Amino acid sequence: MQLAIEGTGLRKTFVKKRSIRELVTRPFRAPQRVRALRGVDLAVERGEIFGLLGPNGAGKTTLLKILSCLVLPDEGTARVEGRDVREERLVKPRIGLVNSDERSFYWRLSGRENLRFFAVLYDVPRERREARIEAMLRRVDLVGAADRPFSDYSSGMKQRMAIARALLHDPPILLMDEPTRSLDPASSLALRRFVLEELRGRDGKTILLATHNLKEAETLCDRIAILVRGVVREVGTVDAVRRWGVRDRVFTVEVSQWPNVLGRTYRVLAEDAAEGGRRVRVALSEGQRLDRLLRDVLELGVEIRGCDRVEPDLEEAFARILEAESGDSGETAP
Amino acid sequence: MIPVLEKLWAFLKRDFLSEVSYRLAFLLQVFGIVLSMAAFYFMTGMIDPATPGLDGIPPFQWLLVGLAFQYYFSTALYSFSAKIRNEQMLGTLEAMLVSPTPTSLVIFSSAAWDFAYAGFRVVVYFTVAQIVFGVHLHYNSLGAVALGVLLTMLSSVGLGILSASFILYFKRGDPINFALSGLTTFFGTVFFPVEQLPHALRAVSDYLPITWSLRVVRGALLQGRTFAELRGDLAALALLTLVLLPSGVALSRVAIRRAKREGSLVQY
Repeated sequence: MQLAIEGTGLRKTFVKKRSIRELVTRPFRAPQRVRALRGVDLAVERGEIFGLLGPNGAGKTTLLKILSCLVLPDEGTARVEGRDVREERLVKPRIGLVNSDERSFYWRLSGRENLRFFAVLYDVPRERREARIEAMLRRVDLVGAADRPFSDYSSGMKQRMAIARALLHDPPILLMDEPTRSLDPASSLALRRFVLEELRGRDGKTILLATHNLKEAETLCDRIAILVRGVVREVGTVDAVRRWGVRDRVFTVEVSQWPNVLGRTYRVLAEDAAEGGRRVRVALSEGQRLDRLLRDVLELGVEIRGCDRVEPDLEEAFARILEAESGDSGETAP
Repeated sequence: MIPVLEKLWAFLKRDFLSEVSYRLAFLLQVFGIVLSMAAFYFMTGMIDPATPGLDGIPPFQWLLVGLAFQYYFSTALYSFSAKIRNEQMLGTLEAMLVSPTPTSLVIFSSAAWDFAYAGFRVVVYFTVAQIVFGVHLHYNSLGAVALGVLLTMLSSVGLGILSASFILYFKRGDPINFALSGLTTFFGTVFFPVEQLPHALRAVSDYLPITWSLRVVRGALLQGRTFAELRGDLAALALLTLVLLPSGVALSRVAIRRAKREGSLVQY
């Protein structure tokens, strides 16, 4: 099956512009270069929500700009539904860009007037234009505010307008650049629900989401890629990436008491008081088994009140990947 | 409607809606035009009507046409780059460039309102000149005037698009505008006839479209010259347009492509 988005060996280096003063005082000094992408490979399947995670300066926005035909790669190829991004005439109708920049609308115009303008630019046929604008306003719940000046909108409303604009020409692929960056928690939650239920659930859109909000990535994404200094360090499902670098399995055991003798066999990560007993977080290394731990506890006459698996945290995995990168081991896994 | 015209219309409408939200500013601009015309009316009273190069045209009328059309020309020269710069600053450029509308059309259409407004200003200039200052205009060669205006616009549009491409790439400086604006104002017979210049410098004005444009408009509107009498000036203007417009468009394509490679297309 054809991929929705495909990137192979993408490289992009930006040359820092030199001031006239620099050009005069140091004419022979080589200009400073910033390597934004250093050979990125990417494959996003149709209907997938794919997260692009990375710290600031990792290259996420550069990658989105290449896929939006705003920046050309120095090397490598990027394809959107099989079309090379250099053929922007073929690519642009297939993508919608949602960024977090509230300024990307005309503030003196109303929401509806903004959408009318962009609908012409996005080649929405004239006879369907008004109906499409109305439908998009309804979808993002802005019909009531459509004729108010854009400057009166809240951050959440502005972000919903950005989604409405990106959907005007009904592209199969949405590129979202930190869509919840300026939103309060309630608006973020509503937007995430909208992405999951409407954009993916109802429309079946493919979504490439660039974010450094790990919670957002965990909630929304089917797969994620961790981008560090212009290189994809890890790709996989959220679960797989969470387990990156994790050898131990962690469990929380609630017991009537925790005999210290168990500490000789099992690594205790944390221990605190629970209702009438103790709550202990235990890490089981390779070769250690949960049933054995529980039997050992019971054999000491301790009552077990509960036991839960602790899923590895994406935030911790992210930190481990960054740590490995800063060590520059070149390894993709420990 | 043809898609290109429809897009052009959408830009016009967008800017019109923005402009009418600043009604007072709009009225003050019209007031400013009238006031500046009054200042030139009294100032030109000090100029000898027999000055070589005026060709018998009263100095105020001669200058009036120069000012009206210099504004048109500078609009063509500045508005593309100013609009693109403005859209970069506003953050709206990215949203437009990611649309299926070609980049060159976005740049071209961005200035549509400024051209329309410049046309409106020219009309205000001539209306006020006739009603308030008693200027008599000849209307027997309106075809030549229209053709002259069209050719002036087209020749300067090429340079204007190129200038906008400089902004896209350099983000500042806009060196073409500084040079051309200076050349136009000094050598383009806007403020004084070319005969006032030293002999060695006079040839420069022949290479500027505005020189020929003003010859056509002054000849038609102020001297009542016919299309046949003006065809030499129109031909010179057409020749300059044939060189400047394709060059501007071709070079702007190179600049836009380079800006995309450099990654400076939507930065400011």
